[in-house]
Amino acid sequence: MRPLDEKETTQVFEKLFKFTGNNLKNIVESPSHEGPDSNPGRYCFRLNKNRVYYVSESLVKRATNIKRDNLVSLGTLIGKFTKNGSFHLTIQCLNLLAANAKHKVWLKPTSEMSVLYGNNVLKGGLGRITENINMGDGVVVFSMSDVPLAFGVAARSTQDCRKMEPNAIVVIIQADIGAYLRMEDEL
Amino acid sequence: MGKKKQKVSLPPELPPEVPDEEIEVSDEDLQFVNENRDYAGFVSTLDTNSITRHVTRVADVKEDALESLYEKRFRKKSLDKEKEENGLEVDPVDALPVKTLDGKLYYRTVPKELKKSANEDEVTGDSEDDGADKSMVKLTKAEKRAKLKKLRKDAKKQAKEVPEVEEVQQTSQVDVLAEVKRDLTAEEANESKKYRLAELGTALLMDPESNIKSLKEMLQISKDGDRSIVILGLKSLLAVFKDIIPGYRIRLPTEKEQEMIISKTVKKMRFYESTLLSVYKAYLQKLIALEQQAVFQHVSFRCICTLLEAVPHFNFRESLLAAVIKNISSPDDVIRKLCCASIKSLFANEGKHGGEATVEAVKLIADLVKAHDCQLHPDSVEVLMSLSFDEDLGRPERSNADNKAKHKKFKKRKNVDEPSKLPDNAKKKNRKDLMSKTREEVLLLHENHLILKCAYSPLIFVDADFKAAYFAQVDADFKAASFTQDVMERRGMQSETLSAVFQTYFRILKHALQPRLEASSRELAGASGGPPLLAPCLNGIAKFSHLIDLDFMADLMSYLRRLAGGGSYADGSENCSKRLTVSERLRCCIVAFKVMRNNLDALNVDLRDFFVQLYNLILEYKPGRDQGEVLAEALKIMLCDDRQHDMQRAAAFIKRLATFALCFGSAESMAGMLYFFRDSMKKVFVPVLCNNNMRFSGTFVALVTLKHLLQKNVKCRNLLENDAGGGSLSGPIAKYQPYATDPNLSGALASVLWELNLLSKHYHPAVSTIASSISTISTVQNQVFHSIVSPQQAFTELSLEQESFNSNSDISKSKNKRKRGSGLTISASVGPDLDMTSQTDENEVRKKLSEHFLILRDITDNERLRGELDRTSLSLKLYEQYKKQKKKSTRTQ
Repeated sequence: MRPLDEKETTQVFEKLFKFTGNNLKNIVESPSHEGPDSNPGRYCFRLNKNRVYYVSESLVKRATNIKRDNLVSLGTLIGKFTKNGSFHLTIQCLNLLAANAKHKVWLKPTSEMSVLYGNNVLKGGLGRITENINMGDGVVVFSMSDVPLAFGVAARSTQDCRKMEPNAIVVIIQADIGAYLRMEDEL
Repeated sequence: MGKKKQKVSLPPELPPEVPDEEIEVSDEDLQFVNENRDYAGFVSTLDTNSITRHVTRVADVKEDALESLYEKRFRKKSLDKEKEENGLEVDPVDALPVKTLDGKLYYRTVPKELKKSANEDEVTGDSEDDGADKSMVKLTKAEKRAKLKKLRKDAKKQAKEVPEVEEVQQTSQVDVLAEVKRDLTAEEANESKKYRLAELGTALLMDPESNIKSLKEMLQISKDGDRSIVILGLKSLLAVFKDIIPGYRIRLPTEKEQEMIISKTVKKMRFYESTLLSVYKAYLQKLIALEQQAVFQHVSFRCICTLLEAVPHFNFRESLLAAVIKNISSPDDVIRKLCCASIKSLFANEGKHGGEATVEAVKLIADLVKAHDCQLHPDSVEVLMSLSFDEDLGRPERSNADNKAKHKKFKKRKNVDEPSKLPDNAKKKNRKDLMSKTREEVLLLHENHLILKCAYSPLIFVDADFKAAYFAQVDADFKAASFTQDVMERRGMQSETLSAVFQTYFRILKHALQPRLEASSRELAGASGGPPLLAPCLNGIAKFSHLIDLDFMADLMSYLRRLAGGGSYADGSENCSKRLTVSERLRCCIVAFKVMRNNLDALNVDLRDFFVQLYNLILEYKPGRDQGEVLAEALKIMLCDDRQHDMQRAAAFIKRLATFALCFGSAESMAGMLYFFRDSMKKVFVPVLCNNNMRFSGTFVALVTLKHLLQKNVKCRNLLENDAGGGSLSGPIAKYQPYATDPNLSGALASVLWELNLLSKHYHPAVSTIASSISTISTVQNQVFHSIVSPQQAFTELSLEQESFNSNSDISKSKNKRKRGSGLTISASVGPDLDMTSQTDENEVRKKLSEHFLILRDITDNERLRGELDRTSLSLKLYEQYKKQKKKSTRTQ
């Protein structure tokens, strides 16, 4: 377990920034409320076995007692570095993203299942969409009752969405909560 | 005027007046002499001897004033003569030159100026004319005619009197009477001009074609030096033009056409039209020239505006429009109102000019806004609101394109088909049949017309082809005859107008964003502080936004977003958000929502940025300064009307509204609020409110909105529960952050709505009841609550209760007074308060009252008993003392 180096940090932040915009500040600066310490620390990013974790500082202190090989997980896993060295967000970071998301898409109840099976969001299934999304922005997908379901990349801007036919892709899904069931072993 | 004439017929009375008047005007005359040196030259060559001879005849004039007096008198005499010549149209032979002593002949070289001076001398006549004029303004045409007739009669009478006066002139008092005559003739000239105007006007109206030449004469008269005559002339010309201008645009014949041999009637017609046109042109030029002079400004504008309203189809519309629009934001209220009204009527009555004038006007306004850098009076953009567009204009392009494509296809096929001459006759026939059928459908409206024609026509329809051809011809004829507007043309014009309108709007928006010198904007915008055109521009956008192309939408929204005041934008916007007032920014939010709602049936877009703006604006809102209606409208449109909300956001808004309600519930003006109570109930529930009940209704609106939000968002109701931290729902933000700018990040779900508890103890029953009802929402069965309470329903129930309770209120009021009487101070204004307590509360009140009375009775009983006790104990003491004394006395004894 070690802190991220410069390059890794920029990679992670760039990825998060795509989803959260200026709210990234909140992710980094929000005070933690874990542990018995009277002075709540902040959250930080830690790397262990190519996986990036979002952990409170108090937890990091305690985790130093454990040998690196034996440490399976700590805090919230938010993504991993591939063998190529690029950074991917994983589904576990969904809650973190959802809380700070800049661009949101709400799904009609009928198309929720389809997304949970790993399909992309089509225009027909769009219940509501934040204005001012541009192509390539990170988008968090919610159900109509505000439960975060997935996140992905916008395939079209909000403006273009108006003119599209109903079965065009609006959001390309990167990870959805169905993965907890589908890929139980890998996670 | 009749009185005046009587005065004239009594010469002996006049002489005493003379010196005064002469002294009064002598300055002016000196000036005149200075100005007209060459003319005044003959003054030096006057025969002084003859003058002195005259002097001896006049007894009561002072010696030193005499010389100048006679100089002038001489001059005036000559002027009068001239005026007679001009005004009464006498034979030019009478207008003889003046021969001076040294034999020089003086011709009158500057008759106009002379006349003017003479008129200026005649002050009394002028003022009277003015009075007549003002009354003329409001006269209808019929009244005008009647008045003109009267004038004519007067003129006749006067004409009779003239010879009489002349006889008198020959007597010894020639010179004194010359003065009289001067007055008389000036007046007479005016009279005769008026008379002439009236005559010409009526003649023109009776038979314009034969009397068309007299238009020129009228115009000539209106170029007169006298103000009143000019005004009269302008007005009568206006009336004439309004009447005789034809319903079409005159096209002057080309040279080629002029060469052709034409019949007499055509020639006459052409002459008529060309005269009319040339005089009209000269008239307009005069009007536009006069608009610069302060004296004639109003009159000329009234004329211009009336002409524009009455004959927008006629030639020279452009110059009329240009003149009107140039002054549409004039600082003069009257002129501006006139211009705006005429432009509005131009927009409203498009049938008169076929829409062309609308396009021109809108383009001119756009240019004006551009030229003045958006620093104009709001009225100038407000007029655009009265434009009207066809509802289907929004999608003309597509359908038109489709049509065109179809036509093209059709034509192509035809072209391909016919040269090749397909042998398949049956197919061809089929197609033609189809064509004719479609035509028939098109011509359904003209069916009657056709049937008539068919009946009289010798044609026998053998073939469908014939029929089709005939139909086509008839269609063309009909169109030509009825001037029906082509649909395509109309659309083209409307879209042109629309683009000009939105060009203007975008320019204003853009301008509002630009950082400017604070001082200059303050200066120009006056009290509102913001850019002056923004408010009407926003209204217009909200009205016409459904017609806008979707491609513009992104730009529009981004402008609105920046106007609503994001701090995250670059330096300029920081400036602008400070400059715009809270209500203007709120209005931006409202407009954005309206635009979205108008355009988006299919896609539900969440305007996140605007919600953030509203969230922050609620804090900046101050009841006195900002408009309450705007806030109420914003809350209604953004929070009540919108179906879905983020839970986080809804919670944040609920919390903020509760805080807001607490702040503005503190009432300094209790009496005022109670007074406005009933009104406020009505308005708040809509919820739109007026300014005077703002302090209180701010709270109320907040609570109403809050209730709405809570009803919709069931999950947010755990704000009402008493466990801070919000449990599992609170999300990653575990603590409420009241200062967060983004509602999503405020963590409001972690808070508790303690404000409601305070508000339920609000002095105002409406506030307290709604607060307590909100706090019990979660305990009441959800479904039941949903079905029962809607704001409108609540309002109607409440108002009904009020009605039924009104009769009781008096009783309760009097009870109140009797009850608390002396001890407690209670104002009558509590009365209406009690109106509000529902029927069920009445029993409670009664119970409480009885309790109170019981206590009161107990207290009085108690007092009485205590008094008795005191008395008895006192008497006992006295008795003891008495006893002691008695004992003492017995001992001493």
